[in-house]
Amino acid sequence: MPILNNLMQQLVNGLALGGIYALIALGYTMVYGIIGMINFAYGEIFMFGAYAGLVLALTNYVNVYTALLGATLITMILGVVIERVAYKPIRRSSRLSALISAIGVSIFLSSFMVRVKGPNTRGFPTLFENRIFEIGNFQITIYQIVIIGVAGLMMLGLHLFVTYTKMGRAMRACAQDKDAASLMGVNIDRVISVTFAIGSGLAGTAGVLAGIYFNAVQPYMGLLAGLKAFAAAVLGGIGSIPGAMIGGIVIGLTEILGITVNLSEYKDAFAFAILILVLLFKPSGIMGRKANKKV
Amino acid sequence: MSLLTLDNVTIRFGGLTAVDTVNLEVKQGEILALIGPNGAGKSTVFNLITSIYQPTEGKISLDGKALTGIPTHKIADMGITRTFQTIRLFPELSVLDNVKIGAHCRGKAGLLQAFTRLPSMKREEAEMEENAIKALEFLDLDAKKEDMAKNLSYGEQRRLEIARALVSKPKILLLDEPAAGMNPQEKVVLMEMIRRIRDTGITIFLVEHDMKLVMGISERIAVLDYGKLIAEGTPLEVRSNKAVIEAYLGSGKFKSRIRR
Amino acid sequence: MKKLLDNWLVQFLLFLCVLGLTAFITDAIGDVLPPYLLMIGLFIGINLIMALGLNLITGVTGQLSLGHAAFMSIGAYASAIATVNYHVPFLGGVLIGGLVACLFGIVIGFPTLRLTGDYLAIATLGFAEIVRVQFTNMKITNGAIGFLGIQGSTTFPIVMTIAVITIILMVWLENSRNGRAMLAIREDEIASSAVGINTTLYKIQAFAIGAFCAGVGGALFAHTTTFIQPTDFGFMKSVDILSIVVLGGLGSIPGTVIGAIVLTAAPEILRPLANYRMMVYGVLLVIIMIFRPYGLLGGVNLRKAVRRAFMLTKKKQAGREE
Ligand SMILES: Nc1ncnc2c1ncn2[C@@H]1O[C@H](COP(=O)(O)OP(=O)(O)O)[C@@H](O)[C@H]1O
Ligand SMILES: [Mg+2]
Repeated sequence: MPILNNLMQQLVNGLALGGIYALIALGYTMVYGIIGMINFAYGEIFMFGAYAGLVLALTNYVNVYTALLGATLITMILGVVIERVAYKPIRRSSRLSALISAIGVSIFLSSFMVRVKGPNTRGFPTLFENRIFEIGNFQITIYQIVIIGVAGLMMLGLHLFVTYTKMGRAMRACAQDKDAASLMGVNIDRVISVTFAIGSGLAGTAGVLAGIYFNAVQPYMGLLAGLKAFAAAVLGGIGSIPGAMIGGIVIGLTEILGITVNLSEYKDAFAFAILILVLLFKPSGIMGRKANKKV
Repeated sequence: MSLLTLDNVTIRFGGLTAVDTVNLEVKQGEILALIGPNGAGKSTVFNLITSIYQPTEGKISLDGKALTGIPTHKIADMGITRTFQTIRLFPELSVLDNVKIGAHCRGKAGLLQAFTRLPSMKREEAEMEENAIKALEFLDLDAKKEDMAKNLSYGEQRRLEIARALVSKPKILLLDEPAAGMNPQEKVVLMEMIRRIRDTGITIFLVEHDMKLVMGISERIAVLDYGKLIAEGTPLEVRSNKAVIEAYLGSGKFKSRIRR
Repeated sequence: MKKLLDNWLVQFLLFLCVLGLTAFITDAIGDVLPPYLLMIGLFIGINLIMALGLNLITGVTGQLSLGHAAFMSIGAYASAIATVNYHVPFLGGVLIGGLVACLFGIVIGFPTLRLTGDYLAIATLGFAEIVRVQFTNMKITNGAIGFLGIQGSTTFPIVMTIAVITIILMVWLENSRNGRAMLAIREDEIASSAVGINTTLYKIQAFAIGAFCAGVGGALFAHTTTFIQPTDFGFMKSVDILSIVVLGGLGSIPGTVIGAIVLTAAPEILRPLANYRMMVYGVLLVIIMIFRPYGLLGGVNLRKAVRRAFMLTKKKQAGREE
């Protein structure tokens, strides 16, 4: 059954790509859920994570886990700093000014990277040997296993964190009603910082994974990846954590599907075409709850 | 003579029946009040009349013409305008512009007129401005016409909303808790204004919690409880109605009945 | 005097005079300005035309659009195809660019304008990406390689005259029944429909006019650079135009003018910073938003401010005379 095998193969490829999108999408969705802001700089944080991983990987003593961990920590700090410097002062202004500020941050980050590391695409050093496993008639590479595994673990961790910890409960409370949460003694600033740290860390991890997977790192890689991940977050229902995961995987799968049916020139358009279609029929996204407007 | 008719109107939000088979007639030229505890469904009745919500069952008609299914923006043109319980002005626009926008459905100018500024369009603009200022004078807001709406006091904002609803010369004006947040003096002035509006031939249908105001100006009162109409009649009749006393006057206070 | 100014014919003649004067003055400026500065001036004009269109959509009507570059690219390619492949005269090509973009604005507007807020933003963004990918894969646009050999017909006086026309028409629009309806939609959609405003209709009008402006800007752009490719019209281009509008002050026409001047000139003024230029630009955006979150002219009623300044000088004079 070649078709079925092919389908399984594409499913694996799509899951790996979708896992990366899902990790970035989680950051978008968490920040949106809590402060209702589109953090457009997430794509650049992803890019920063990739470069951090690259720099770490180039030092001799580092293996893949420390590279991942290091990049994650660096982007977490970066995310918190960005929030404090560029977003916190305008939290009470219109969402458009926050949007422009975020755009300013992303221009800064990518041009900073051009300045420091040059504008060209860099390869990623091999941190471990890539091997190909044959399962039945389709193949899965170690890289793919690592990506799907790491992405899955992080999502599970995030889910447990949000569901069972005190901080997670505070985050959910803020997402529902910031003012009420604040009255109940939740430290909003802390919650927002933690949200940014976690979201940025996820994007940083995704950056390293993408660097390994595609063997390419580039200062402007964050733009399109960020846009697609944002599309994934909206597709899944912005503000919803399971939605972001589903959205990421759907976007990854459709992109791979587009390549399979020989429309790879259009692969970048697929994510957005799907997004627009979903929005038109279910404006709140797949997992989003319908906003019930009372007048 | 009945101007606005609600015929077996029901709306359900999921499992909640917010308005339950309501039959009600608003007569030409009267002041009718709709009262009831919080969450009884009064605002929902207004939202149904203005087509913001569509009834699950039943019909609403104005002068015999069905309103059900007609989009909200056509309702004003048919002669029904309203105010909102939570003030909904155009906060960043001037008081005068707020009222001019209220006359939108009485204007005709389109894009072509906007870009050519032919004399006909200028005439319409001048007329609109004149009417807007008249409406502002009527509600004693003409001194504030250049101010931004958001800078008005609470009571002034409530009056501005009435001016905006009035300028299109509706047949019937729906007022949702117009006195909420006003001080006693403002309430007295408001009562007088509502009477004067009615005297210009506009039918008034209002929702209000302030019993002094309701009993003072309404000719008829309808009482809603849990979405059902439980009484209807003159202030005197309603005041002595058993069901009403039980439902809510009896407790001496308003019981909140926000249902989920 | 006042009566005379109220006369339609007089106003129309005045309008023509302003245009003639603009063309004359900018032509004279064009003769003395070094070509480099002239080029900056020209791009200021083009950006201004496009930003005024976006200002109508986002600033006046309150519909966040992140895909303005798509309409720009449609105008650019349509005009280029018209002038190069079909030998349409330049100004005809510009008009075609505007009209085709406008048509797309309407077609896109119908389904997407049911969406609100951020959902609309992401849908417009998605639309723009699709348009860009489409242009990359079309034969007639020469795909990713780019469209070559467009006549460099755009001149400084032409751009400035069109910019002035756009400004005047936008001011008129804002002070009309249509413009007020658009402002009302920005302020409160439910209240707008309750006073009888057909919100869909006016949103589509705003989109159509905004797209037209972007198309005209794109056509002028194509006939300035003489070479266009899909990457000219990416997400960052939409962002550039949006920054102009937000930075100047949403909904403010003078603000948009200032935004266009500042943001078009800024990267050029910052050029001596060489490699640090874009970094500084990014930081500037953040700083301006922190200190003027409603834009440089946001919340400033220019007419009132001018009047007050005028009164003050008058009072001072009166004081002196005493
Ligand atoms: N859009 C809606 N979706 C769900 N429930 C609603 C909606 N609008 C109103 N309700 C519910 O209907 C009931 C009546 O509300 P409302 O008409 O506002 O009461 P009131 O009499 O105080 O004006 C309330 O329980 C309210 O929660
Ligand atoms: Mg109510």
